[in-house]
Parts: sequence; C-alpha cells; structure tokens
Amino acid sequence: MSADHDHDHTPITASEEVSEFEILEVALRELAIEHGLFSAEDHRRFKEWAESREPAGGSRLVAKAWVDPDFKARLLSDATAACPEVGIDWNQPTGEGTPSDYTFFHVLENTPEVHNVIVCTLCSCYPRPVLGMSPEWYRTPNYRRRIVRWPREVLAEFGLSISPGTEIRVHDSNQKSRFMVMPMRPEGTEGWTEEQLAAIVTRDTMIGVALPDPDWTAAAAPSGAG
Amino acid sequence: MSSRYNVGDRVTIREQFSIFYTRTQAYTRGRTGTVVQQFESGLIPEDEAYGNEDGRVEPFYKVRFRQVDLWPEYSFPDDTLETEFSESWLLPAREDT
Repeated sequence: MSADHDHDHTPITASEEVSEFEILEVALRELAIEHGLFSAEDHRRFKEWAESREPAGGSRLVAKAWVDPDFKARLLSDATAACPEVGIDWNQPTGEGTPSDYTFFHVLENTPEVHNVIVCTLCSCYPRPVLGMSPEWYRTPNYRRRIVRWPREVLAEFGLSISPGTEIRVHDSNQKSRFMVMPMRPEGTEGWTEEQLAAIVTRDTMIGVALPDPDWTAAAAPSGAG
Repeated sequence: MSSRYNVGDRVTIREQFSIFYTRTQAYTRGRTGTVVQQFESGLIPEDEAYGNEDGRVEPFYKVRFRQVDLWPEYSFPDDTLETEFSESWLLPAREDT
C-alpha cells in the first residue's frame, strides 16, 4: 500500500458459500450430460422454462373463479383438470409434470369462517406451474418453522391480522399434493373484468399471507409510507 | 389398494422411529386428528427417496389437527393444521380424552 493510498483494498470475495447439495447437483448434472441422458442445452432450456412460470397463472385461476361459479366449482373439485382453461398445463414439460413436481393440485377456498395459508415445513414444495418460483422467505427455516406453530403472529409480521373468530388453517404440503389459496373477492370490485380482478390477486394472497386489495396490484410501485 | 380409513375417521399418527428418510413430521407423531380427504395410492416416500420404484404403495390421507392438540401453548381453539400421511403412519385413534 502506498502512502497516499492508505485504505485497504481487500479483494471482494464471493460471499455465498457453495453448499454440498449444489456441488452434488453440478456433479450429477455433468455426469448425466457426459452419459448423454440430456444435453447442456436441454438443461438450460428447462431452467429457462421453469423459471419463467409466474404467479399470473394463479391470478387468472382466481379471477375466473370469482366471475364464473361453474368454473369455481370445477376448480375446487379438480384443480389440475381446470388449469388448462386458463392456459396452464401441469403435465408440461415431460408429459407427466416437471421432474420435481407432482401434479396433484388443490385450491383452498378462503371464506369468512376459514383463512388458509400454505407452507412446506420439510423443504419448499410449492405449486410452481401456477405460482412460479417460491419467494425466498417461503423457503427459509424461519417461515417454515414458525408459520405452523405461531401462524397468527407470523401473519401479523406480514401485516395481516386475522380476527380471532376466523379459523386459521395451515396446510403443510409435505407429500404429493400442491396447494394454492383462493382469497375472497374484496368489496369495491363489483363489475370489474377478469383482467382487472387478476391484477389484485397477487402472489402473497395465494400463499395466504395477504388479502387482495382493490387499490393494490404488484405491478404498481408501492407508494410512500405516508 | 383399498383404503383402511374414511373421511371423518379419527386417527393417531404412529410414534414410529424413522432411521433413513420419511416425510412424516416429528410434530405430528403421537397426535390425533381427523381424516378430511383420501388420495390415490402411491409409492411411499421412504422408498421413493431411494429410487426404489418397486417399493411399497399405500393410500394417502389428509389429516386435520386442532392446533391446540399439536402445540401445548396454542391459545386459539378453532385454528387447525392439515397435512398428509401414507396409510402405514396412521392408527385408529387412541382416544380421545
């Protein structure tokens, strides 16, 4: 270090340690490619496809159910079969779903009596074909451990206060089923189009940590705290 | 495979030790709840985790617990939690005091 340059230029080092599981994934993937099970291009395309799924699919399901009671009945009785009506196919891309997702999909209807919220305490099971990749917090041990045991407190941390008279029903998706919450249609949306309604059915309302608000879409930038 | 339990049945989760792999959460073991849904039979995760495609196939059930039956300090009596089990994790409810 020179005299006129006395701050420490410690190199910026990678802050994220690579986990054993990531090393295992890379090793397995390279072996599979070497053995011709799939190509690097196949893998890239799959990742690109999987990571382009988004919550808009679930929003369309909810909005359509709000305006079409027959569709709502079909969605609640066999959600996987109802999904193609809004352009979602749980069998993509292999013909029997993604390699890591099952195709048993169930929609949980919120009512004045019951508020549903989803979690996977064992890992991060999530209805990816309709909601895309889960948010980072959904995969943290903090959320997974606490939402099953202190759901009211955790929901309050998200800004959601549920009346003590409403049953909170936590769904721990530990096996082959995947769940999504259908929130209640809020007042003030009478006469809205499906498209307008879909815009207020944000990701968090379908996890169950928020309620739809006629004045809030995830596309709009949050206004200031005032 | 025919199902041993029906919707509405009270069941207790086995307090079974799991040496290798399971998807039955520790917090449910020994607890009693109500079957709310039956699912089609499938390979149990204890075999599936090891790629044992010829392993045991069992019916699956969704069970609803009262939160106060899972967590001793829980103070909202109407709140519930639902999760799934393969059949061999369930016993007829050891009732129900």
